[in-house]
Amino acid sequence: MSVPDYMQCAEDHQTVLVVVQPVGIVPEDQFFKIYKRIASVSQVSIRDSQRLLYIRYRHHYLPENNEWGDFQTHRKVVGLIAITTCNSAKEWPQTAERFHGQKEVYSSTLYDSRLLVFGLQGEIAEQQRTDVAFYPSFEDCSDVEKRVEDFVESIFIVLESKRLDRATDKSGDKIPLLCVPFEKKDFVGLDTDSRHYKKRCQGRMRKHVGDLCLQAGMLQDALVHYHMAVELLRGVNDFLWLGAALEGLCSASVIFHYPGGTAGKTIGRKPSISQAADAGKRHRPGALTANGISADTSTEIGRAKNCLSPEDIIEKYKEAISYYGKYKNAGVIELEACVKAVRVLAIQKRAREASEFLQNAVYINLGQLSEEEKIQRYSILSELYELIGFHRKSAFFKRVAAMQCVAPTIPEPGWRACYKLLLETLPGYSLSLDPKDFSKGTHRGWAAVQMRLLHELVYASRRMGNPGLSVRHLSFLLQTMLDFLSDQEKKEVTQSLENYTSKCPGGMEVITLPDGLKLPPVPFTKLPIVRSVKLLNLPVSLRPHKVKGLLGQNISTASPFIYSPIIMHNRGDERCKKIDFQWVQGDVCEVQLMVYNPMPYELRVENMGLLTSGVEFESLPAALSLPAESGLYPVTLVGVPRTAGNITVNGYHTSVFGVTSDCLLESLPNVKTSGCLVEVIPSLPRLQLSTSLPRSAHTPQSKEELSSSVSVQLFNGETQQLTITLENIGSEDIESLELTSKIVNTKEKVFGEFLSWDLEDAVSHLPLKPGQAVTLTVCIKVKLDFSGQENLLQDLNDDGISVTGLPISSPLRQVLKPRPETKSVGEAEGNSGKPFHILEAVLNFKYSGGTGKVEGYYRELSLGVHVDVEPSVFFTRVSTLPATSTRQCHLLLDIFNPTEHELTVSAKNNQDLVLHASECQRMAIQVDKFDFESLPQPDQETVRFANPKQLEEERQHAQGCQINSKLGICWREASVEGVLNQLVLEHLQLAPLQWDVLVNGKPCDCDVIAECKVGDAVTLEVKLTNMSKNSVGPLALTVVPYQDFQNGVQNYDLEDAVTFIGSNTFHIDTVQPKESSVCVGALLFLYTGDFYLNIKFQDDSAGRELPLAWFTLPSVHVRALDTLLQAGA
Amino acid sequence: MAVCIAVIAKENYPLYIRSVPTQNELKFHYTVHTSLDVVEEKISAVGKALGDQRELYLGLLYPTEDYKVYGYVTNSKVKFVIVVDSSNTSLRDNEIRSMFRKLHNSFTDVMCNPFHNPGDPIQSKAFDGIVSGMMVQTG
Repeated sequence: MSVPDYMQCAEDHQTVLVVVQPVGIVPEDQFFKIYKRIASVSQVSIRDSQRLLYIRYRHHYLPENNEWGDFQTHRKVVGLIAITTCNSAKEWPQTAERFHGQKEVYSSTLYDSRLLVFGLQGEIAEQQRTDVAFYPSFEDCSDVEKRVEDFVESIFIVLESKRLDRATDKSGDKIPLLCVPFEKKDFVGLDTDSRHYKKRCQGRMRKHVGDLCLQAGMLQDALVHYHMAVELLRGVNDFLWLGAALEGLCSASVIFHYPGGTAGKTIGRKPSISQAADAGKRHRPGALTANGISADTSTEIGRAKNCLSPEDIIEKYKEAISYYGKYKNAGVIELEACVKAVRVLAIQKRAREASEFLQNAVYINLGQLSEEEKIQRYSILSELYELIGFHRKSAFFKRVAAMQCVAPTIPEPGWRACYKLLLETLPGYSLSLDPKDFSKGTHRGWAAVQMRLLHELVYASRRMGNPGLSVRHLSFLLQTMLDFLSDQEKKEVTQSLENYTSKCPGGMEVITLPDGLKLPPVPFTKLPIVRSVKLLNLPVSLRPHKVKGLLGQNISTASPFIYSPIIMHNRGDERCKKIDFQWVQGDVCEVQLMVYNPMPYELRVENMGLLTSGVEFESLPAALSLPAESGLYPVTLVGVPRTAGNITVNGYHTSVFGVTSDCLLESLPNVKTSGCLVEVIPSLPRLQLSTSLPRSAHTPQSKEELSSSVSVQLFNGETQQLTITLENIGSEDIESLELTSKIVNTKEKVFGEFLSWDLEDAVSHLPLKPGQAVTLTVCIKVKLDFSGQENLLQDLNDDGISVTGLPISSPLRQVLKPRPETKSVGEAEGNSGKPFHILEAVLNFKYSGGTGKVEGYYRELSLGVHVDVEPSVFFTRVSTLPATSTRQCHLLLDIFNPTEHELTVSAKNNQDLVLHASECQRMAIQVDKFDFESLPQPDQETVRFANPKQLEEERQHAQGCQINSKLGICWREASVEGVLNQLVLEHLQLAPLQWDVLVNGKPCDCDVIAECKVGDAVTLEVKLTNMSKNSVGPLALTVVPYQDFQNGVQNYDLEDAVTFIGSNTFHIDTVQPKESSVCVGALLFLYTGDFYLNIKFQDDSAGRELPLAWFTLPSVHVRALDTLLQAGA
Repeated sequence: MAVCIAVIAKENYPLYIRSVPTQNELKFHYTVHTSLDVVEEKISAVGKALGDQRELYLGLLYPTEDYKVYGYVTNSKVKFVIVVDSSNTSLRDNEIRSMFRKLHNSFTDVMCNPFHNPGDPIQSKAFDGIVSGMMVQTG
């Protein structure tokens, strides 16, 4: 006996062995169908008794093993069921012959046999034979089970008779010596009459009877017999049989303790009692008699005494195995006993002791084993280890079994079997072939052994001739074990991977093995490692903007509340967070990845592109080559969305070492992203801009980014035309175009419109088809404040109202500062070192078209305009001289030409003034004083909303304009706005206190001579109208008459010539704003002549705080005429 | 003395493994790896019975033809495994115990290093030295 049955378990001891074999030609599938049906009859309850007979079926059994049947009766083939086909009566004798031949093989042990004949019909089939059953076909054989049951019952009858026969003939003849095959020669010539020999015979027979009892379902009897056998055999040191008796004792105890069986997998082993009752009822209703019950009670007696406790079972097994161990030829018995003991221990959950049995089993030498047997043995060891929960050990043996399949001694290595076994070891090494299990957290399991296993899987699958599998396993190895591979190994693995992929490129499909195992794809997320994914906005000029104010733009649909303090936090959804910029359909968009190469050599990544969803997306793959152990390396992946909607960047795909991988971001926990969802809006046109002016490197320091910028150098006050050509380079029509400008550099005060244009012409060309262009002219006008250049100026302060450093374009300069201070400020501004002033502005083109326009989007193109402004003319000094009339004055301007060119300055009513380079000349202009009060007041609305400062600025700006229009100073074509400071303004402005002097009711001014008659009283009326905001007065005026001899001599001694009627002093009471006050006096001229009246204020007048200029009264010229003359005329 | 000494993390992956015949290291990997079955079995058996009060030293895990495998489990479930040559009969249980104790002390020192990240393979030189002292001197 050399082939162990590893599937054996303790309860097999109570079974009878029936061999089911095909005879002649039987189709295999049909045979196994019938075999299965036969095997379903695994336990039969015997009529008239409570006993159950268990049957073990085998379709293959070595006759060699049968020879051990005396040793353990369950090894004995007691029944044979032959299955055959027979199509005609002619074949019948031959078939019957064969059946008999088959019977011969097991003849020595056979109790009974049956032949099942399929296909035969007719005469022969009609005859009733107990040992042969005829069925017309494999389908039509409904009573096979019934037949088998009958067969089993007949076996039982033989068994029972044998049992009784053996059990009773104690005193009879000589008891034969039962022996195992290898013992036979040992007993030759032994004294059969010795006591020792007899005892041995008795003991062995006892044991044999125990076996029979056990098979016949008499457990308690069996136990008793076994106990006796043990006693007997121990006495004669018959160790092999002692072991067998002990094992029988164990088996019986196990059957008693564990009615569910120890094999675990054994199907259909139902609890015996219920089965018995069930079966009994089915066959013979009411057959359950007192007989059965009494049998039952009898078993109760002595149970405790004879049955082994669970602990004892193991002890006895140990003992039995140690006895078996003494015999080399009993290796199979020992091994099987070990296996049985392990199964029992597994039930008892005593894994450690079980492992000791297994450990022992490993070392049992069965002599020369065939490779197949070795594989079987290792597999079964693996299974048993699995059974006791030793998964690693189990995996180890499975792997050994796998290796055995392809041992070099085997002429045809079974790579398939090897591969299959290797796959089964995976759980034991806590290795799953799903890379997702490795992407989270730390590596699990024992890397060194896992790596080894993967290498073996790769090799086995390659030898199986499935390169796809090897690529998958190798990819998995590289992906999950990267951290544990040495540099050399990395190199080797990648090289072999490249070798394999050259034949069979690796992909992303799931590989399904024939046995149903699915190998998920292995994306190379570590080759290269991606650290961050960032979706990039479009370039500034291509970014779409939403037309504001459209309904429903900011209405959140997330909550029904207008406001809620509860913020909807969706931490998990961060990846799905929508990014607040848009991509445009049809325009190339970019995603930036930060990658690095963990390999010790250069990594070539091919066909790297984006994986997206939501929108039809044309990915434009890139190839890159990353240097060894590179740091973070930016890679930009591009693509073009082809439709509008929300696009989600799910990941990227690569092709490395011939393996294409789709790496999804959601399975990469270490990747930083700022969101992957972007809205793609419908397509918009694209505009290209070219200008007549050269492009410049200067870009206005603006918050927004500019698409381009131009620069030009201009004199202050100059105007330049800028021609802008706009070309549609997109694929959509441009349907709308808007242009706005913004001055960027707010430090400089720009006067007038810096940039002006007429869009009408360009707009008339719309819609602009792709490829078409339109031109637009923009006027650049520079009028700048050139203050702070007073170091050029000379102090010509001779009349007290001259102002230095006068800004020529600064009506807004509000505060008149003392000179030194102004100077320091000028220096602080640092303009002295800078020859030019810089003026910058941004032209913004908003355009839209196509479907994007329908959705309310537009694009912006901005052009920066950079102007270096050179100084042109300066007003170095401004002063006024009073003119003859109080309502007029002379404005004196010192004009300086700082340029290197000659220039002409013209003013209203004046000659042109030619200034040579760096020349300074004075220009005088007579101007009427201004009545600023007459300027239109800003309406109430604006007053309410504007702050006082703005109002003031506005007012002053208006004043500036008025002055400018009156003066009309021109330089070249540009009008120079002569702008004056507050002080000059005071002189140019009409005083708010308006004095009117009336002589004889007629108003009089400097140039008007009032005439009166000598001797007549002349009424002198002084009227003060208060236009200012404050009340004025009280004031005292003294009228002093004098005569001017026109030679510089003035005669104030006129007491004889002029008398006052009443006082020569007038008193004016407080005059409220907007009111007027009149005081009237009278004069009497005694002689004819020209007289002047000088109206003076007395010192105590309250006008101290008011400007002196407000109190200038016109001097009155009175010509007194002779009355006679008058009368004569 | 020992032919292989291994430290295994709570999650059953090796933190440290060193064997003397370095050319066949994988064999020891397998030996130690499979010994974990027994370790787990022993821990679970003891855990049920006595709760926290358990002996750290697990004794002989299993004998193989050539080697004897001894185990030791710290309270934080870090396992130490020492493999000794079967032929070395002079080694007594007490000596094995003291080896484990030494190993545990050294391991504790490694864990006390603020720069050591628990769960990372042990690269301490001091620990290496202790282990070397316990290994069979080859040559």
